[in-house]
Amino acid sequence: MSSLAYAAGLSAAMWRRSLNEVVRVRGALLPTTVAPIIFLLGTAGQFGRLSDLHGFPTTSYLAWILPLSCLQGAGFAGGAAGANLARDIEQGWFDRLLTSPAPRALLLAGPVLAAMTRALVPTTVILSVGLVMGAGLSGGLAGVIALYVAAVWFCMIAALWGSTLALRARTQQVGPLIQNGVFLAVFLSTAYTPLPLLQGWLATFAKYNPVTYVLEMARQATVAGIPPSWAHTWPGLVALSGMTVLFGALALRQLRRVNL
Amino acid sequence: MSAADDQRAILVEDLVRTYPGGLRAVDGVNLEVAPGEIYGFLGPNGAGKSTTVRILTTLLRPTSGRAWVAGHDVVAEAGAARRVIGVALQEAALDPLMTGRELLRLQGALHGLRRAQASERGDDLLERVELVDAADRRVGTYSGGMRRRLDLALALVQRPRVLFLDEPTTGLDPASRAALWREVRALNADGTTVFLTTQYLEEAEQLAERVGIIDRGRIVAEGTPDELKARVGEPALHVDLVDPAEAERARELLAAHGECSHRRGGGLIVRMSGARAIAPVVRTLDEAGIEVDTVEVETPTLDDVFLAVTGHAATDDPAPEPSLSA
Ligand SMILES: Nc1ncnc2c1ncn2[C@@H]1O[C@H](COP(=O)(O)OP(=O)(O)OP(=O)(O)O)[C@@H](O)[C@H]1O
Ligand SMILES: [Mg+2]
Repeated sequence: MSSLAYAAGLSAAMWRRSLNEVVRVRGALLPTTVAPIIFLLGTAGQFGRLSDLHGFPTTSYLAWILPLSCLQGAGFAGGAAGANLARDIEQGWFDRLLTSPAPRALLLAGPVLAAMTRALVPTTVILSVGLVMGAGLSGGLAGVIALYVAAVWFCMIAALWGSTLALRARTQQVGPLIQNGVFLAVFLSTAYTPLPLLQGWLATFAKYNPVTYVLEMARQATVAGIPPSWAHTWPGLVALSGMTVLFGALALRQLRRVNL
Repeated sequence: MSAADDQRAILVEDLVRTYPGGLRAVDGVNLEVAPGEIYGFLGPNGAGKSTTVRILTTLLRPTSGRAWVAGHDVVAEAGAARRVIGVALQEAALDPLMTGRELLRLQGALHGLRRAQASERGDDLLERVELVDAADRRVGTYSGGMRRRLDLALALVQRPRVLFLDEPTTGLDPASRAALWREVRALNADGTTVFLTTQYLEEAEQLAERVGIIDRGRIVAEGTPDELKARVGEPALHVDLVDPAEAERARELLAAHGECSHRRGGGLIVRMSGARAIAPVVRTLDEAGIEVDTVEVETPTLDDVFLAVTGHAATDDPAPEPSLSA
């Protein structure tokens, strides 16, 4: 069997196995979907008038915050993949994979791909809730595609980050740490306010936080002042690529150290 | 490594594993297992059995020393080693959400079997470990014995040349244990080398051609079960007489056959020097007109061996902690 066929077959088998977490566990998707929705309802209600401020590229705070919630839902799905890996390591399942001759990187491919698949659910549900609440798809199809690419790719990065921590800690207790990391990465960006309105250290942090640019890319879907364009897309793609290289390398390094 | 080493299924040289905190769980282990052999690795809780198995199956790197499986260095050539081994670890880690059949297919995919091949092999193995009826049930609903059997089947998917079984029968009822023993013997008859750890002396005696006794990270004795028993002493003959009053006269007569002493209830114990000598003992008594009621041969068990070489019984609980390295 060619190594490509082997890689594809194994990734598919592991992908199916990881999706069991969603398909065979009732309510497994609820936490990662419901939390961002509650968050969406809460913030849109509380800070709804914020978008009246000068410098907001939209008059609807809901439109501003909706892509953020989608990204958060997708990110949590990725973090959950990391937490599940930690459980697999703790309970010994991962040893079964490690004693097989599979190339080490492939052992992460299945779970990460499954997380990306799974991320479609919260992204879609949250987007739908937002639309029902009155947000409009100002960016049309191009904007929606940008939102989905940003969300699913961000999920993959969260999964790699989660896998790194899982391989290091080797215990399920690392779960909250993984998700807090995802939350903070999104929180300390232009999550609530555009860059020009941010001040002090948060402004600096948000400016260098790659998630800011991923958010900008995603916001092409619903924010009228960020119409779909290459200028709003390429910084996000660069940020996503950079984070993929960084967290991919970290995960692989930790994977090689797993038998120390 | 030299060509000669290739002829050994397992070769371990001066293996040491120190855990963070300084515990030397494996403390200079040397051993060799020939192809086609069943090697029993016997030791109490915390002796270092699982640590050794984890090193040999590439899951853990040794602190120092080297080990080869089927000629492959488990550190430098870990990938090649993984291609020839089958592993059933002490804690059978099975995904409770998957069915037995699905798990076998996934294991096939891990080892590079094509889909159709993996299904066919999986079905064969389900039959072999008698799990056909439960094959499409989630593993979460399996009993302990069923999990063990499935775990063994999983270890066999890739037809391993060297099979590692870490305490395969701990927690099984006698019938399941006997079934697993039969399976291990059958696998071995097909040419599979088996490295089996156990806390049960009986299990090592039943299955293993050679036994290594590990205690606190060191091998304290090694040999065939018979050799190890011979180290403890000669088999003893328990003789009961119809008329206990003749015991003293019998003792004097039997002194020629070995060390002879009285035992409670009027019988005699003869520690025979050399080969089994039931017939001469009985003949001597018969010729002297002393009627024999029963004769029993008592051979030392591995329990006795353990006590003799480690100074404590195998089942001593709690086992003394392994020594900390300086
Ligand atoms: N990951 C670890 N970190 C620190 N110490 C460990 C670790 N794993 C095992 N040990 C210690 O190393 C020693 C040997 O453990 P090991 O699991 O190899 O013993 P064992 O012979 O398999 O015992 P058992 O019959 O209970 O399975 C024990 O004292 C154990 O506490
Ligand atoms: Mg053990």
